[in-house]
Amino acid sequence: MSTSRHLSPTQLKGLLKVGDVLVPGLGGLPPFSASHAAGEADRMFDYMNEADREGLKRVLFLLRFLPRWLLRLIFFVATHHRLFPGPLGAAFRMLNIGVKGCVMTLYYSDLTPDGAIYREIGWDAKIVEREGAPGEAASVPSAAREGERPFLGPKRPTPKEAFERARSGRASLSRLTLEERAKHLRELSRVILRRREEIVERIQADTGKSRLDALVSEVFGALDCLQWLSSHGKRALRERRVHTPWTLMGKRSLIWFEPLGTVLVISPWNYPFYQAIVPIASAFLAGNTVVYKPSEWTPLEGLIEDCLLEAQFAPNWVQIVYGDGSVGRELIEERPDKVFFTGSTRTGRSVLAQAAPLLVPVELELGGKDPMVVFEDANIERAAAGAAWGAFTNTGQSCTSVERLYVQEAIYEPLKKALLEEVRRIRQGVDRDGNAEIGAMTTDFQVAIVRRHVEDARAKGARFLCGQDWDGSSRMIPPIVVEDVTDEMLLCREETFGPVLPLFKFRSEEEAVELANKSPYGLSASVWSKDLERARRVAARIVTGNVSINNVMVTEGNPALPFGGTKESGFGRYKGEQGLHSFCNVKSVMIDRDSGKIEANWYPYTREKYLLFGALIEHLFRGGPLSFFRFALTGLKLEGYCKRAREGYRNRAR
Amino acid sequence: MSQERALYDAIIVGAGISGSFMAYRLSAAGMKCLVVEAGKSFSRHSYPRKEIDANSQLYWAGGIELNSDCTIGFLRPKAVGGGSIVNQALVDRFDDIALDSWREVSGVAFFTVEAMAPWYEMAEGELSIQYIPKEYWNKNAEIFRRGFDNNGYQWAPLRRAQRDCRYQDGNDCIECLAGCRIDSKQSMPVTVLKKALAAGAELVSECEVVEVLEANGQTTVRGIHSGGREALFRSKILVLAAGAIGNVKLLLSSGFERVLPALGKGFYTHPQYMNLALYDEPINAHKGPFQSLKSADMNFRKSGFKLENVYAPPVGLAMLIPGFGKAHQRTMKSISHLACIEVAVRDTNPGRIRVGRAGRLLIDKRLNAEDRARRERGLAAVRNIFLSTGAKKIIEGDIGIGLHLMGGCNMGCDPARSVVSPEFRLHGYRNVFAADSSVFPNAPGINPSLTVMALSLMGAEQVLKAARS
Repeated sequence: MSTSRHLSPTQLKGLLKVGDVLVPGLGGLPPFSASHAAGEADRMFDYMNEADREGLKRVLFLLRFLPRWLLRLIFFVATHHRLFPGPLGAAFRMLNIGVKGCVMTLYYSDLTPDGAIYREIGWDAKIVEREGAPGEAASVPSAAREGERPFLGPKRPTPKEAFERARSGRASLSRLTLEERAKHLRELSRVILRRREEIVERIQADTGKSRLDALVSEVFGALDCLQWLSSHGKRALRERRVHTPWTLMGKRSLIWFEPLGTVLVISPWNYPFYQAIVPIASAFLAGNTVVYKPSEWTPLEGLIEDCLLEAQFAPNWVQIVYGDGSVGRELIEERPDKVFFTGSTRTGRSVLAQAAPLLVPVELELGGKDPMVVFEDANIERAAAGAAWGAFTNTGQSCTSVERLYVQEAIYEPLKKALLEEVRRIRQGVDRDGNAEIGAMTTDFQVAIVRRHVEDARAKGARFLCGQDWDGSSRMIPPIVVEDVTDEMLLCREETFGPVLPLFKFRSEEEAVELANKSPYGLSASVWSKDLERARRVAARIVTGNVSINNVMVTEGNPALPFGGTKESGFGRYKGEQGLHSFCNVKSVMIDRDSGKIEANWYPYTREKYLLFGALIEHLFRGGPLSFFRFALTGLKLEGYCKRAREGYRNRAR
Repeated sequence: MSQERALYDAIIVGAGISGSFMAYRLSAAGMKCLVVEAGKSFSRHSYPRKEIDANSQLYWAGGIELNSDCTIGFLRPKAVGGGSIVNQALVDRFDDIALDSWREVSGVAFFTVEAMAPWYEMAEGELSIQYIPKEYWNKNAEIFRRGFDNNGYQWAPLRRAQRDCRYQDGNDCIECLAGCRIDSKQSMPVTVLKKALAAGAELVSECEVVEVLEANGQTTVRGIHSGGREALFRSKILVLAAGAIGNVKLLLSSGFERVLPALGKGFYTHPQYMNLALYDEPINAHKGPFQSLKSADMNFRKSGFKLENVYAPPVGLAMLIPGFGKAHQRTMKSISHLACIEVAVRDTNPGRIRVGRAGRLLIDKRLNAEDRARRERGLAAVRNIFLSTGAKKIIEGDIGIGLHLMGGCNMGCDPARSVVSPEFRLHGYRNVFAADSSVFPNAPGINPSLTVMALSLMGAEQVLKAARS
């Protein structure tokens, strides 16, 4: 029997009892009471504070009289101390550290004479003490300190390195749960929210857009998408169970939404922040690592990385590679698991061409020449205000800007008047305070395209209703409204991507549809009418990826709606559930039981089986009141036959 | 009851890192110094071998002290040599993030990387400092490195104050957490304290200083020997080097809070949380130099945490692994298959040290929302590292450990909000100095020992200046 100068026999018994609850013994590990550890308690109690020692002694005394099941319960609850607030949680922790600490210290110090416990847990740390002078003392060589320079951020990766890093990032990302990935997106939201003024300034510096454009279409838009992704989007990626037909009875059919791997995102310069965050976040939520190339015109250098790091994204998960089209080509050469490209139709075509022989899947979000169709019963003031915003927001540099305004004859003149009044109120500037409607154009080459379209229209006889004072080279292109535009003019055929709005007249619904569809593009459209029936009819007949009724560019405002084009505006969808799935390997899974059963359609094939299958098909697909009953009966017969046939087949094999 | 009558030039309370450096500089300059230490004096032959004895004999309160809500356990060393006996001897300079924030909160101008550099240089000159050769990195280090690389985090080799660990002999440095038995670790008794004693400093160990008095330009120190015998020492100058908790407790017990309203506030501890991961293959994290690498990721630094590639001996592990019973023992049986990474939080929420009834120590120290977020961020990175290297299971320790005990006598220019002046004097006292971790203005987020050395060297200059005048 163990003895102690500090512990009474009862307290010692309490220690042994609770010791055996905490350390019951396992395999070669003895139970606490058999380890003779309790007898060494004084080695610890000698050094404790008086108050701690007395407290612990009282607890041990008490524990002596509690049944074992209650001790187990107490320590089970103590393990979950975090569920208990305030003093109760503290008491459980105190108990845990005091009593468990006492038991564990005695036991795992391994005071057995033969070191049985250390041996059993594989603890063999040692120091070889030998006499003799210690080796040369090495003071810090200054060269060694060189290696200690603070880390100043990873070096800019080459396309090859970027893919290497992103691919090695999959090791940890693939082990994260969907909820954990969503949590990173929520954290990213918080970072963006907190840093929004700085972000707005960076966007303005790179793009020259108005401050409110930067805040609403980029920051707000990105936050809105992040919120949707981390709540609703998460649901879209959960395992889904689908219908299993009767003929496959007993099996389960599932869809798993797995990541593709490493996705390459190439984004344009018109919405550099939004177009970085939203595709990165979507691909990331689906479990992909991402290599992202911003436009060389609006790199927002370092900003996206910084936000992601602050949201605790591991650096390898998202790689950002800066550069122009040649870098883009090098990146595609690295065979990403998918290319998500947003940009011009011309570049989109070459991306697709480069990816085709590599069999790299591509999703293209390209340009548009979006029509706005206003019927005579529409509210003129609202339509005019909508047209002005739709055509000139972001200085017309949106793929879904209104670039063709079709107005029904009867209201053409009043709408034109209202529109021009609207336009005259627009203030232009790269403002600091939010008090400007439109900003500058972002790039000179786009200014040149706008000039070409404008000069072409002027030469071919179009009438300028406003904006004629633009010098043809300033990035501050004022809103331009033109009428008498004909099919031959570039303004009617090609994407302008600037603040230029041509006005057209139409007579009938039929003509409106025909005109709206008379474009190689089909990205988005809008239909304006009090008659919702008619509006829906027309909306359905316009070949386009997105359509708004009595509003403009508003489908993009809802992150739950997929976005994408038809015809030369590209293909594939991003955003919304479909958009998330486009970043997934949609994996089909069927689960059957493990059994000795052989399926009816497996071998052997016999004449009799052929006939039974024939009957089964007949009953299954013909329909009629008794067909299901007959189908079931044939099924049973087929099953019985198969079992017998299988027996014969096995003998044949022998 | 006996009374020592000699009048010393300086009495230094605490023979830890700061006390040793102080004693060395002051004695070398010719001052008659006495170092009074509560802990015992050990040598490589007498360090405790068993974990139970190490915990009991090398730490206050028999191993661990708790904060008021029992969420953090403080390990406060008690031995001649102090922290340098039980620490892992990591010696890192502070960066501008730490020093800029110190300068900002304290208003003390010399907290800059440039101004501190010569003092760091001088401190480093007293020690042998080495990097662990790559061929001796163990599997735990390998997982750390691979996990960092997989995720794109930045790591760096670790600088350690050691002389010759003879890895070729198969030494396992984890044993030296209870004192280095081959005198490789640059603990004070084999380095600076040795020089101090050679220069004439006197050392009284196993004598706990319980009260100090300052009157008429003279200080009196009342100590109690381990046998209960009382001792009084007198000196012209008093240097407090008993660490954050030790200094504060002593000053509070001696009634100094009447003059020093900020005393005991501003306590920081870099709460550390151990996370273990189970692997199929053996890791043997305890073998060899058990800590070879460190996190050097700027984003970790900005996010307020760092990761440490450490391990603990069996009792420590048994305490940190949640639960009990057979499941707990099963985990214990797999300790050779566990890897370990610790999150050390650069805490922002100041704690407070108080002395309650019957001289009982009370430590209020909590994590606020920001500190918890920092811990969470660290945990997320740890998970990424473990999961990317094939961990089967992650065990997150839920007891916070406070190893870096800092503040409580924060340095600053404003006597209302700080305790120690930029001249290392207690505000309002001409002859009472402190330059140890208790003067840290806030949590630097970097291992403190090298900076304690540098500050002690700076402080010693001030003491000498005071002694001459």
